[in-house]
Order: sequence, then C-alpha cells, then structure tokens
Amino acid sequence: MAMIECRQLSKTYRKGASIIKPLDSLDLDVEQGSFLALMGPSGSGKTTLLNLIAGIDQPTSGSLTIAGQNIAALSRSKLASWRAKHVGYVFQLYNLVPVLTAYENVELPMLLHPLSRKQRHERVGTALSLVGLADRHDHYPRQLSGGQEQRVAIARAIVTDPQIIVADEPTGDLDKPSAHAVMSLLVRLNQELGKTLIMVTHDAATAEHAGLTLHLDKGQLVEQSVTAAFSGETATTHADEGGDA
Amino acid sequence: MIRLKYWPLVIKQITRHRVRSVLTILGVAIAMYLFVAIQAMQQGVAQTTEATAADTTLVVYREDRFCPFTSQLPEYYLQQIEAIDGVVSAVPIRVVVNNCRASLDVVTFRGVPRDLFESTIGQNIRFSAGTLGDWQKRSDAALLGETLAARRGLKVGDQFDAAGITVYVAGILESDEPQDQNVAYVHLDFLQQQVDRRLGTVTQFNVKVDDPERLGAVSNEIDELFASAEQPTSTRSEKAFVAQIASDMIELIGFTRYLGWGCLVAVLALVGNAIVLSVQDRIKEHAVLQTLGYPSALIGRLIVTEAAVLGLLGGLLGASAAMLTIRLTHLSFSVDGLSIPIEAGPVLLALGMALSIALGVAAGLVPAVQAARRPIASCFRAV
Ligand SMILES: Nc1ncnc2c1ncn2[C@@H]1O[C@H](COP(=O)(O)OP(=O)(O)OP(=O)(O)O)[C@@H](O)[C@H]1O
Ligand SMILES: [Mg+2]
Repeated sequence: MAMIECRQLSKTYRKGASIIKPLDSLDLDVEQGSFLALMGPSGSGKTTLLNLIAGIDQPTSGSLTIAGQNIAALSRSKLASWRAKHVGYVFQLYNLVPVLTAYENVELPMLLHPLSRKQRHERVGTALSLVGLADRHDHYPRQLSGGQEQRVAIARAIVTDPQIIVADEPTGDLDKPSAHAVMSLLVRLNQELGKTLIMVTHDAATAEHAGLTLHLDKGQLVEQSVTAAFSGETATTHADEGGDA
Repeated sequence: MIRLKYWPLVIKQITRHRVRSVLTILGVAIAMYLFVAIQAMQQGVAQTTEATAADTTLVVYREDRFCPFTSQLPEYYLQQIEAIDGVVSAVPIRVVVNNCRASLDVVTFRGVPRDLFESTIGQNIRFSAGTLGDWQKRSDAALLGETLAARRGLKVGDQFDAAGITVYVAGILESDEPQDQNVAYVHLDFLQQQVDRRLGTVTQFNVKVDDPERLGAVSNEIDELFASAEQPTSTRSEKAFVAQIASDMIELIGFTRYLGWGCLVAVLALVGNAIVLSVQDRIKEHAVLQTLGYPSALIGRLIVTEAAVLGLLGGLLGASAAMLTIRLTHLSFSVDGLSIPIEAGPVLLALGMALSIALGVAAGLVPAVQAARRPIASCFRAV
C-alpha cells in the first residue's frame, strides 16, 4: 500500500453563485521514500493539495489515507496531534516566529512531545547541525539571511522526525546559491534519511531534483514526468493504474 | 493553565510590543488603583454602619441632637442607666471635635472619667505604647487612636493641641473599633474644664449590654426612663447613629460603587483591546503553530494566559499602590466626630489581584476562541 493515497479527492469553495474547484476528484498514490514535485500554473491547486496532505485543510469529498489512516475523517484536535507526529511543513516565506531565536523556533514542535529539556536540547542541536546552522542558535530570524531562515525552517520541520515533509515553493524567494543549498538539503533528507518529500515548485530546474514531477491544471493531474536520473517510478496517478485514462 | 515549558512563548509575546504592553498594564493599574480605593471606602462604611451579631454597645444621645455641640445630657443619668436590667456597664463621655463638619483630618476628644475607663472602653483596646497608669497620673494626658497618632506623627511624650485644647500624649492604643481610630481619650473633668467649665454635662453615654438580643429592649427602656425628663434621650447602637449622622456621606460613598464597577469594565476593555490587536497581528503565526501540531485549545490557552498576565501585572501594580497610599495617608472621613475609616488589608489586595486576573482571562476568551477556530489554511492566504 502506498504511503499517501488520494481517492476522488475534491475541494470546493462556494462564492456566491459560482463554485470554485481547486481540486477536482484527484487520485494519487505516493510511495514511501519518494520525492515528488508538483508543478502547474498559478491557481491550479498545488497549495491546496499540499495543505490537504499536510492535514491543515480538509477535503470537501474523497478520501486521503496516509500511512493507513484516513485523515479526512479526523477531528480537528486529532488532526493536530497527527500533524505533530507525521508531517513537517516548509513554507515559501519560512514563517519563523520573529521573537524567537533559531533555537527556540526549532524547539517549538518539540514542546508538544513528552521530552525533558535536555532531550529537547539534543534534538534541536542535531537538527540545527544537520542544516549547517549549529553556530546560529541564538540568532533571531531578522539576523539571518533568507537562505539561513529557510534552513532553520527545515530544521523545524524535521526535528520531530516526521515521515513526510511537504514544501511549498521552498526556494521561491531565494537567490540561486541559497536555493541550491536548500535543495541539496531537501535531497539529503529524501535520500539519506528516507523522508517522503512533496514539493511545489514553479521552476523546472528545481523540479529536476525530484524523482517524479506531476503537473496540475484546474485541480486535476494532467501529466507526469519521471526524471531521467531516477530509475524507478515512485508515484503514479491512480487513473493510470486503473487503466481508464 | 499552561505547562511551564510554554511560558517563554507567552512572555516573549508580551515583551514583543513593549510600549503597548506597558500602556495596557499602566491602564489596568490605574483602574485597579481606583477600584481598590473605592472598595476601601465601601468597606469602611460597611464596617462602621453594618451591625454585626457581636455588637453590644448602645449610645445614648440627647434626643434630636446628634452633633457633639448640641447633645448635652446630665452626667447623673449614669446611675439610673447602670441600674437597668441587662446593662453591664455605662460610661459618660464628653465629645469635642476640632471640626464638626465633614472632614478628612479630624481629632475627636472623648472625655471619660478616669476611674471608669478601664472597665468600659479599656476592654476593647490594647496599648501599643504607654500605659493606663501614665494616662491616669496626668490630668492633661491623652490616649490616641493609632490612626490619629500615625497621621499626626505623634508619639508618647509629645504634646499637641486641637480645638484649642493642649494635651500630653500618654499612650497610643490599638482597637478594632473604627470610632477609636481618630480619637484622643482624655479625662472627663479636664475636658469639661477646658471647653466650657460646665462640669456635670456630657455628650453621650456608651452603654454595654449583656446580650446582643436585648439591645432593642434596653434602649427602649433607657429612652422611656428619661422621656419626661428635662433632657430626653435617644438611644441606639453606635453603628445606627453613624449610619444616620453620616447618611449624606455614606450615600455619596455608596455611589462610588458604580465608579468601581466602571473601573472593572475599563480593565476588561483595556486588556481586551491589547489582546485583540496582538492576536490580529499574529493570525499567521498561530496558523504556523497549528501547522506544527499545536492543538487549537493550546493556542487559545496561550492567548488567555497572555491576557491574564497583563491583568495580573496591572492589578499587582495598581492594587499595591492603592494599599500603600491608604496605609501611608491614614485617611478617614469624619462627620460630627464620627469616623468612617478608609482601610485596605491583604484581603482587599487579594481581591483586586484576583479580579484583575479574572478580567484578563475574560478579556482573552473571545479572541482566544476566535484564533483557535480559524481555519488554518486560509490564514496563510489572508496576508
Ligand atoms: N479559501 C478560499 N476561498 C475561495 N477560493 C480559494 C480559497 N483557497 C483557495 N482558493 C482558490 O483555489 C484555487 C487554487 O489555489 P491554490 O493556492 O491551491 O493554487 P496554487 O496552484 O498553489 O497557485 P500558486 O502557484 O499561485 O500558489 C485558486 O483559484 C484559489 O483562488
Ligand atoms: Mg500555492
């Protein structure tokens, strides 16, 4: 069974008389340990899909099963503790808490877990070392460059050791060298730590890092491409499997 | 309310907008200062006018004349009053006040027979300085209520004058009776000599009754006894007299109750405003916390705690400043020689603090619930 299974996943908004469908009966399987890039024009539903998988939004219909659990059916509070255990979210604009130091920002998700101060300290230290910012514990976000902020945000996303990392245009706001550093970090998370990684990007070159790129348009999957460097196909649209495409 | 490990988050949020937090805390402090001061006045009124089960003292005045200047009774009534069944003891008192009108700085001289003091008024007081013997030895000796002594900065051995009478401070006394606070007990004959040389005339009798249940019966009996005498009497409990004589002022003080409630509403509004602003600033931040797995209930509790801390700090500042002012100034309202003290004890301080915390929590509730209920994904789109 795939790590993430979307079946007939739909999200609709009603705006007066008109109905907006950011996601339209989407079927998707993502295998554990894969690296998936999502591309598509603005408004095609990429963020919407990512938010559903991250459990911060609820589908209007369909099912979304992650590691055997249908998270579409969870209550708000159950979903919160599910998020704390299973996903890390990396935002385009980092979203660090400005009044907290890098250390404290990374510690935030750890506070939810029953760990001693010392245990938290070790885990936060490890995460910050992994992103190459071991010497920046006491720096506030405003004292860091964009690339460094994003690396702190990645440390925050992985500190609880979730199986799934989602990233919404993680390099969208960065210059080339910083973007490169962030991307190689994400690739390492996928390849060395085996994280399942789903990343939205507008940049084809960035998508090259992923094993598989899916293209969305008007809330539907329109195309998939396997990156040459990767041998095995790690994600499939369910429609393909069913053979009714 | 929240676990210890989350407190740094709350503190950081409060110090984030330092000016806003300080202004809010100051506003709360001012409101709580007023509230505590008003409450202290209300308590003073209650203490001086509300009868308690333990009250056993009656005051006999000249009928229809309740000002010390006009109430004049013959001292020899004493024997007849003492003979009434249920009367434990009685003491004639001559009252002279330096200021008969409503005033904040009043000195009430009470002339009491030297040999009756110990068995009557002496029962309810403790000496914090000097002794009864010192007072009995000198004809111009005075025993001062502690409030009066503190307000005028007087100690044993000092001399002071008021209302044209110069006395020697022989002792300072502590008493739970509000009317003992601004008093200077002097010898009855000395006071009579000093004021008008009318020996044998007193202002009032204080009568101790053996059973609180019999207050009414005894007072009726006293008034009936002198009904057809040249100087008829009016006898009531001391607190009932205060309530009547100071009724204008008590009404005024009673009205300040509404100001006190207004202060509480102000606290609610101040904290509410600060929290609403701070939560609006942080919609996205709360969405980030929820994305990290923070349950909405925890977000709500963090916000409520923040509000409660603002309330607590303001309350602590305001209530303790009010306490300090009241303690240092020893103020009391006086009318016709009767005092309504303004007093603030630890209970009032605790009440002020508890209320400001509770109001903080109340002010934080609505923004907290709103923040907790907001759909997470749309918070990221909002900005
Ligand atoms: N709360 C909402 N109410 C109404 N419409 C919404 C809401 N949230 C999203 N949409 C709509 O859903 C559609 C998909 O939005 P989404 O953010 O998923 O697109 P996207 O592919 O991430 O676009 P971009 O590349 O610009 O980030 C858009 O048309 C958007 O306007
Ligand atoms: Mg998007």
